[in-house]
Amino acid sequence: MSELNSQHGKASSDKAIVAKNLCKVFKVTKGILRRTKTQVEAVKDVSLEVNFGELFGLVGPNGAGKTTTIKLLTTMLIPTSGTATVLGLDIEKDVTKIREKIGIVLGGERGLYTRVSAVDNLRYFADLYGVPVSIRDKRIKELLQFMGLWDRARDRVETYSKGMKQRLHLARGLINDPQLVFMDEPTIGLDPEIAKETRKMIKELVETGKTILLTTHYMFEADELCKRVAIIRKGEIVALDTPSGLKKYVKDASVVEVEGFGMTDKEVARFRELPEVLAVSADLSENKQVLKIQTPKGSEIISEVQEILKNSRIYDLKIKEPTLEDAYLRLVEGSVK
Amino acid sequence: MPRTLRVIYSAFRMAMLHWMADPQWVIPNVIAPFVFTFVALTLFKEASGSFGLYAVLGGGMMGMWGNTLYSSGFAIEFEKWQGTLEEVVATPSNLLHVIAGRSISNALFGLVNMVAILLIASLGFRVPLGVANPILFALSIALTLLSVSALGLIFASAFVLTRSAQVFTNGLEFPIYVVSGSMFPIGLLPFWVHPASYTLGPTWGIEAIRMAASQGNVTLAFWLNVGVMLLITFAYVMVAAFLFKKVETKSRRDGTLVQA
Repeated sequence: MSELNSQHGKASSDKAIVAKNLCKVFKVTKGILRRTKTQVEAVKDVSLEVNFGELFGLVGPNGAGKTTTIKLLTTMLIPTSGTATVLGLDIEKDVTKIREKIGIVLGGERGLYTRVSAVDNLRYFADLYGVPVSIRDKRIKELLQFMGLWDRARDRVETYSKGMKQRLHLARGLINDPQLVFMDEPTIGLDPEIAKETRKMIKELVETGKTILLTTHYMFEADELCKRVAIIRKGEIVALDTPSGLKKYVKDASVVEVEGFGMTDKEVARFRELPEVLAVSADLSENKQVLKIQTPKGSEIISEVQEILKNSRIYDLKIKEPTLEDAYLRLVEGSVK
Repeated sequence: MPRTLRVIYSAFRMAMLHWMADPQWVIPNVIAPFVFTFVALTLFKEASGSFGLYAVLGGGMMGMWGNTLYSSGFAIEFEKWQGTLEEVVATPSNLLHVIAGRSISNALFGLVNMVAILLIASLGFRVPLGVANPILFALSIALTLLSVSALGLIFASAFVLTRSAQVFTNGLEFPIYVVSGSMFPIGLLPFWVHPASYTLGPTWGIEAIRMAASQGNVTLAFWLNVGVMLLITFAYVMVAAFLFKKVETKSRRDGTLVQA
């Protein structure tokens, strides 16, 4: 593990990341015969700071701008406006220097050369990152041991399980011993056990002194891992605080939680239209459906709930204190007052 | 090892590992040049002079160019399919060097095809393949290989942005065979094709290879062909470096690198 501890001196800046008013606009062409160009603002005026040694979460629904923000900060994209420094280096001017010092971990099963072994994958990226040959093989061994992959190091990656591939992604992201690691939805698509194992690895990395910026759309994951969390919606940061600090956004409400069967999207939409309802979330995919309604009225709206759901079967109905997940829901639905 | 060479070597090694993992990729690249050589030798088996050698070397060049062009287009497509393009681009290494390593490895596979074709022609068709100057023959082949790889790099830069690199590779394969003189001597082609022929490094390379194969004495014409080819190859590398830089900036500005 000694090699995994950050060996570089800290950059001149006292913050690992400083972003000021970052914006990214994409031009999108629509149509075949009549081509029209439109503009999509993927990131709007994003400002944030990340401290050294911090695990910082960027949380938001799909399409909120998390990945675009990461791509801007990792120099994969050029901002339309705004500025940012990463480890004290400018994201537009110091592209190569930044790339040498950071690691990137993208989620999912892709992003690895599956026809070759884990060792060959890591060796290739070690060469592309310019890891000195004298320490390359030692570091590959240490990383694979740390990730519990050493026994299968020479096997083709296509024979690995999802969890093993994700651990190899993490190892690849650390091959240049980066001071700062960007992780874009590292647990997406993983089953609960493997996601838990991945979160454990991420916690251990922070203990070795790494700074991590992690994106996720799971609030519980951010709550478990992150010191501070920024919630992003439609390209804008709508809240930035500690997980407990974010709960203040829902202190005015309680949650009516309904468990049942036969609830429909139409009924969920009716709840959203009610003036006293602040936010609604529904999981209608399973046999045991769950509907959560945030409202300042608490038990006063129970009769209205029962009226709207009169054609559904209700197993249970509770009034609960709002959680961090509820705060997230309110913020991404844009109903925080 | 200097950083650039290390990246080129590493990309070369990775491409080799994939070739070994999926050897069936070689099949189409062997069959087309072999068929060309077979047809040419069958049609002109009564012809005298160095026609047999011309046909055999032409078939070999086809293999080399086919592999390089295919790999130039496929190098980017392959990274997209694997989902590794973002990871590779995110490293501090120049994408041009990564693609160069892949391009050289594939041209080298083309060279293997050339050796196979030489053996088939020699053993199967009794084509006299005595090489007059083996050292210059080997040197001119090695330099032509680099020239072909550099030409592939120019196409690869354009393929970074396209969604359909394979359509382009299919479309460009035969024109280069014809224009570079791999299929027929350039003298047989219409005069208006000649300017295009002489801007292709492989045109000069294949001429040098044929001279080394057929003439025992080193002539000024041989070195002129080699020199022009090297100049053109250098220009290809400069143009490719410029295009890669432009393409990378454009893809970072428009976000088109991975979507394409």
